[in-house]
Amino acid sequence: MKRAAFGHIGFPILLLIPQLAIIAIFFYWPAGYAIQSSFYLEDPFGFGSTFVGLENYTRLTRSSNYMESAWFTLIFTSVVTFFALAIALLLAVKADKVIRGAKTYRTLLMWVYAIAPPVAGLIGVMLFDQSRGNLTQLFGMMGIEYRLGVNYWDTAIAMITVSIWKQIPVNFIFFLSGLQAIPRSVREAAMIDNPSGTRRFWDITFPLLAPTGFFLLIINITYSLFETFGIVDTIVKGEPGNNPMTLVYRVFVDGFRGQDLGGSSAQSVVLMILVLILTIVQFRFLERRIHYT
Amino acid sequence: MADISDTRTTPATATRPAKRFRWDTIGDHAVLIAGALLMLVPVYMVFATSSWDAITVHRNGMQFGFGDRFVENYNAALFEYGGFTDSVNGMTMLANSMILGLGFAIGKIVVGMMAAYAIVYFRLKFATLAFWMIFTTLLLPLEVRILPSYEVITAMNLGNTYTGLIVPLIASATATFFFRQFFRSVPEELIEAARIDGAGPVKFFIDILVPLSRTMIAAMFIIMFVFGWNQYLWPTLITTDESLFTLVRGIRQIIQSYADGSETPDYGQAAALAIIAMTPPVLIVVFFQNWFVKGLTESDK
Amino acid sequence: MKLKYTVGASLAFGLMAGAAQAQTEIEWWHAMGGQLGETVNQMAENFNASQDEYVITPVFKGTYEETLTSAIAAFRAGEQPNIVQVFDAGAATVIAAQGATIPVETLMADNGYEFDREEFISGVRNFYADSDGMMIGMPFNSSTPVLYYNADALAEAGVEPPQTYEDFEEIAPALLEAGYAGMSASLLQWTMTENFFSRHNLPFATNDNGYGGTDVELLVNHPAIVDHFTSLAEWEEAGYYNWYGAGWGDNQNPFEAGEVAMWIGSSGSFGGIADRVDFNFGATFLPYWESVTSEPTQTFIGGAALFAMSGQSEEENAATAAFFDYLASAENQVFWHVETGYVPITTEAYELAAEQGHYEEFPAAEVGIQQLQLPSGENTRGYRLGFYVQIRDVMIREYSRIIAGETTAEDAFATIEEEANELLARFAQTQG
Repeated sequence: MKRAAFGHIGFPILLLIPQLAIIAIFFYWPAGYAIQSSFYLEDPFGFGSTFVGLENYTRLTRSSNYMESAWFTLIFTSVVTFFALAIALLLAVKADKVIRGAKTYRTLLMWVYAIAPPVAGLIGVMLFDQSRGNLTQLFGMMGIEYRLGVNYWDTAIAMITVSIWKQIPVNFIFFLSGLQAIPRSVREAAMIDNPSGTRRFWDITFPLLAPTGFFLLIINITYSLFETFGIVDTIVKGEPGNNPMTLVYRVFVDGFRGQDLGGSSAQSVVLMILVLILTIVQFRFLERRIHYT
Repeated sequence: MADISDTRTTPATATRPAKRFRWDTIGDHAVLIAGALLMLVPVYMVFATSSWDAITVHRNGMQFGFGDRFVENYNAALFEYGGFTDSVNGMTMLANSMILGLGFAIGKIVVGMMAAYAIVYFRLKFATLAFWMIFTTLLLPLEVRILPSYEVITAMNLGNTYTGLIVPLIASATATFFFRQFFRSVPEELIEAARIDGAGPVKFFIDILVPLSRTMIAAMFIIMFVFGWNQYLWPTLITTDESLFTLVRGIRQIIQSYADGSETPDYGQAAALAIIAMTPPVLIVVFFQNWFVKGLTESDK
Repeated sequence: MKLKYTVGASLAFGLMAGAAQAQTEIEWWHAMGGQLGETVNQMAENFNASQDEYVITPVFKGTYEETLTSAIAAFRAGEQPNIVQVFDAGAATVIAAQGATIPVETLMADNGYEFDREEFISGVRNFYADSDGMMIGMPFNSSTPVLYYNADALAEAGVEPPQTYEDFEEIAPALLEAGYAGMSASLLQWTMTENFFSRHNLPFATNDNGYGGTDVELLVNHPAIVDHFTSLAEWEEAGYYNWYGAGWGDNQNPFEAGEVAMWIGSSGSFGGIADRVDFNFGATFLPYWESVTSEPTQTFIGGAALFAMSGQSEEENAATAAFFDYLASAENQVFWHVETGYVPITTEAYELAAEQGHYEEFPAAEVGIQQLQLPSGENTRGYRLGFYVQIRDVMIREYSRIIAGETTAEDAFATIEEEANELLARFAQTQG
């Protein structure tokens, strides 16, 4: 709140009404509904239901399948986050250095941001297809048998690759902006102190980029957890099979494919708690970040 | 994983800067070109594939060269009607994607700015409570509360309507949050001056705050438009009436026929549709990249 | 502007409909995409043109699962369609929710139509019926698993199409010699599990395969099927059997590409195959193990049925009944059968198709129907199991692991049974 704020009451309430109404109807109501459903087993048509307490939750911990998805999600998130950040950082450092064609490079490296995840997934499905995939044929020439949809980790590789590809542009933009925000004087001083490029990067540039990096870490984790839904759905072609699945995709599969409202809602609540933790971390950091700029 | 360093290092003495500069840049350009190709080649292949007939692609996968079906495929993807009522073709889907992108971006910005203005510029007792209520919505992406949201929409009878398609997506308060941050960074003197001039809250908002936020609004608009345009899961669930299909939703339909094997999917047309679906957001991002980059790096979504 | 236009259009439309001769309009939600969807639209148009009292509008809703989910949500909002297409694995959910649908026999009787379940082909009759045999859903796109073979490849290898899996084991080496993998199969849960039990007349679940109520356990962990999957894994190792993952098309494509000599798929697939392949092909019955039974029985239908949803006006129910009656007529069944490859549901329609010489031209089109008329047994009507979509997902996950050598068939079937029984118990609780 500003020190010198307006003293009206009615007007700001009017301003807030649209936002509050939308979140009440489309956020709090569904969220409450999810929490409530997670304690019941109900017939999807609404004819019958049984209160089962925490059964829907305890079942998740017992389910080898759910735990396996949880592990996969952890691995998927770590790998996608790491590579999407690392590749983007490498490209940003190089793009920051070159003078000729800088704008062109920036454009070429960021435009994929605008491609929808399922479209990226479709490209992945075509490239990695079992019999017709161009990359599959390439692997075949190298003597590697690659089978999307058959081998668990082969499917995972396609998902991870497409997810990284799709996320590089965002990270690239942030890193490049971060690099360009480093004052000239600092750079020049670093040049004189430390002519070795590698040392200069690790001693000066990297620490200065750390806040951006941390912020991106949260963004990338959130991306890997939720926004890859379209990629996962496309690559497994809507068939769970023996394919790896992220937790968000499981919520959809159990709820929408399987009509298991209770089980799906319990998984939603688990994810809510996970995002809550992530957001608290992000929020504290953001507040601090704003404070500095 | 490549090592993030210069391709070579020499003692700084004895070498002339110009020479080192040239060697260095070759390495830098090589990395950047590789990166650019990584981004371009897959999409180029989709583009090339969009000019072939289904059977060729079905047998041999995506193509590098161009075939002779370019015009036919795009014509079919854009203008050929399908469905019982013959109500849907590529143009309809393009229009729907546009409505979703614009509706989402405008709705989110308007609602977000109003709420942020109320929270930042007024002495409201419950401003903090309102803020936290709004902030909590960042906790739960739509993907997570998809089933209950779907139930709520159906209960309200908003399935297969633009309202049901757009409004629930606005329920996440990213824009509000961002405008709140932005307004807080606006100097106090401005509002002091406005009050001395006797400007009321509406006048201050319209005459001072909105013009001041112009660049930010533009940046937010681009990001939100792309986000809305590219929505996948929600349109899939909410629009079952073909006349409301967006391009991304239409692509899903093609992927399904790819999966179920009951017929040869029309790969050429699918590729054409994918190209059509990515063109508008890509153009917007490329043309307005300065705003876009600014918006992206100064907001959190 | 689009928003206003839609509202305006629907208002105008409503006025027009009111002004015209009051026709009763009904909606039909289905999951038939692509070419099949075109045929569905054609049938609806034909019905609308055949009389002037009723108008039916088919609406394509996506996959089977999406169609069912939309229909359930719409029901809860009081906006359900008159007719919804429900697939085999989702049938238990709909049928268990008594009050959500009107049994087809009741609907037809209430509207004064003759309805004799005996007119239906025996393998078609029972799946969507209750334990007393009363038909609840109207079988629509019915198919059954059959074996397709590449006749040129078999001739090249000098072998005959197999009738049993023992035959298959015998001919597979010769096919491999000739450069073909012996076999691939789609939707193993259907072709090599549910119908495996039916073909050998083995009980698939307790309580009359689940028709007796929700207090049911799966009996899938049977030595016959454990041995069968052990063999599949061995054949995969030897190059006799190829596995391409959970996708239906992924297993069908290699047969069409001439890499695999035989494919177990749907009797409804033959039209698509005929369009796409350039070799001679034929179809034969789903193989069985002679070591398990010397009297193989019939299979039952997969695909989906049409259900009349309750809560509609009497006029609309009359329209739905009229449409079902139209659909079941021999001429329309033959049209559907010839256009799509799905089996006709009545014996009359089957005889009419034979009369028209359809099977002289396409012998493969008859195989599924003949198989559905083989002798029946006490375990051949099908199954009625809740949360069955998830159970199928568990099956396919474990089958993938068996074939990949990550687990043994013994362990896999124990796991399937355990997880399935937990799901079945959960489903019983949803009905509480």
